[in-house]
Amino acid sequence: MDEKTSLRFQLISAWCGPAFLVTFVLFWGVIGRNIPNPSPALSAADLAARYSQHLGEIRLGFIVALITVVLYMPWCSYISARMARIEGGYPVLANLQLIGGALTVAVVSFSCCFWAVAAFRPERDPALTQLLTDTGWLVIDLQYACTTLQMVALALAVLADRKNKATPLMPNWACYLTIFCAVSFFPASLTGVLKTGPFAWNGVMSYYFPYFCWLCWEITASTFLIKDVRRRMRDFESSPLVDGEAPREAALAS
Amino acid sequence: MANAMGRLEIEAQFVALGDVKRRLPGVDGVWVFVFADMMVFALLFGSFMLSRRQNPAVFEVSRHGLNPNFGGVNTLILLTSSWCAALALNAVRKSRFVLAKRFIAGALLCGFAFMVSKAIEYTEKLEDGVSLLTNDFFMYYFTLTGIHLVHVFAGTIVLLVLWFMARSRSFDPERPVVLECGAIYWHMVDLLWILLFPLLYLMR
Repeated sequence: MDEKTSLRFQLISAWCGPAFLVTFVLFWGVIGRNIPNPSPALSAADLAARYSQHLGEIRLGFIVALITVVLYMPWCSYISARMARIEGGYPVLANLQLIGGALTVAVVSFSCCFWAVAAFRPERDPALTQLLTDTGWLVIDLQYACTTLQMVALALAVLADRKNKATPLMPNWACYLTIFCAVSFFPASLTGVLKTGPFAWNGVMSYYFPYFCWLCWEITASTFLIKDVRRRMRDFESSPLVDGEAPREAALAS
Repeated sequence: MANAMGRLEIEAQFVALGDVKRRLPGVDGVWVFVFADMMVFALLFGSFMLSRRQNPAVFEVSRHGLNPNFGGVNTLILLTSSWCAALALNAVRKSRFVLAKRFIAGALLCGFAFMVSKAIEYTEKLEDGVSLLTNDFFMYYFTLTGIHLVHVFAGTIVLLVLWFMARSRSFDPERPVVLECGAIYWHMVDLLWILLFPLLYLMR
């Protein structure tokens, strides 16, 4: 593949991050009725009624979210490739980021699947609907550690990048913000025990704040990733050689 | 002529300013981290106060179930620890690495003492049949002190790394950035406990 095409793929992949973010909030959050999400303290009958009431939206939201969630994959793939350039010979952190990102997609997809199944037969026993809803929420809220590792790996790789001190992939503050956002998920583990209050799965500390941090990191990282691709595209445009052989017009002119 | 004089004056001012130029300790990222972390705790304290207002009787009765001696001792431990961290930084700035290593060890021991004391306190509560499911007050008590304890645990790991760095003299006395970052974080952990202690143990 020539470098120009490669750079174009890189730019598209970097833009998949914001695309994931918008579609996730729209389909998973708004249309899938997860803002606000159902309380774990809701009775089985009330929960089943919630599904029947918004059946069409919930089905549409989760079924589409299950497709658009894969936009996270090219984004992670690009981050990994970029990190591997920083790391050189042994891209341990780049691999870790890639695995973490891939498993994040798996975790988010599985939880969505459980809710889609719950919405599949709204006439079934409400206790089963509750079981499926519980499973979905605990799947997504207790398995955040894959995402934590993904984020910390990225931050560490960029912080340790001594070669490109002048033009780092992300500034120092963004790396620390990444680490903070990654550890902000930890209170979500309490969703496995508590049904009310800020640590329940519809609470501030286990839902709104960590999810906000995750999406906030996505915006920040995407902004710097896109800037970085654009900078490398400009460098390529102004470089005297293309594919290592033919001198460019700019080089001829000088 | 007047213009040239003016410029000279300005240049003189710049030199004077250059002498007293202050820099931010640590890296800017660690301040971002500390600010974000404090925001989380502000959020937690806010939700604690809201919950308390809805149920003042339960909160007041449950508060008496806590042993303020543990809280008080913990406060002293962390204040001493923070002091040790500040002294270590001072020692490194004077290139006295052996002394710095001892102060870091002191801060580290205080961190361990805090964790041990919390373990005893938690065990006491759990043996009395009190857990985070007992009521809203104890839910906040266990989660707030638990999240703080995770910070202490992370801080002791940081201090351990700093101790090894002091031993191998890998700090630059002119600008010991890593030590500064560690001390900033450790002071934040201390500050959060100073807020948590009256909130949970003392406030009527």
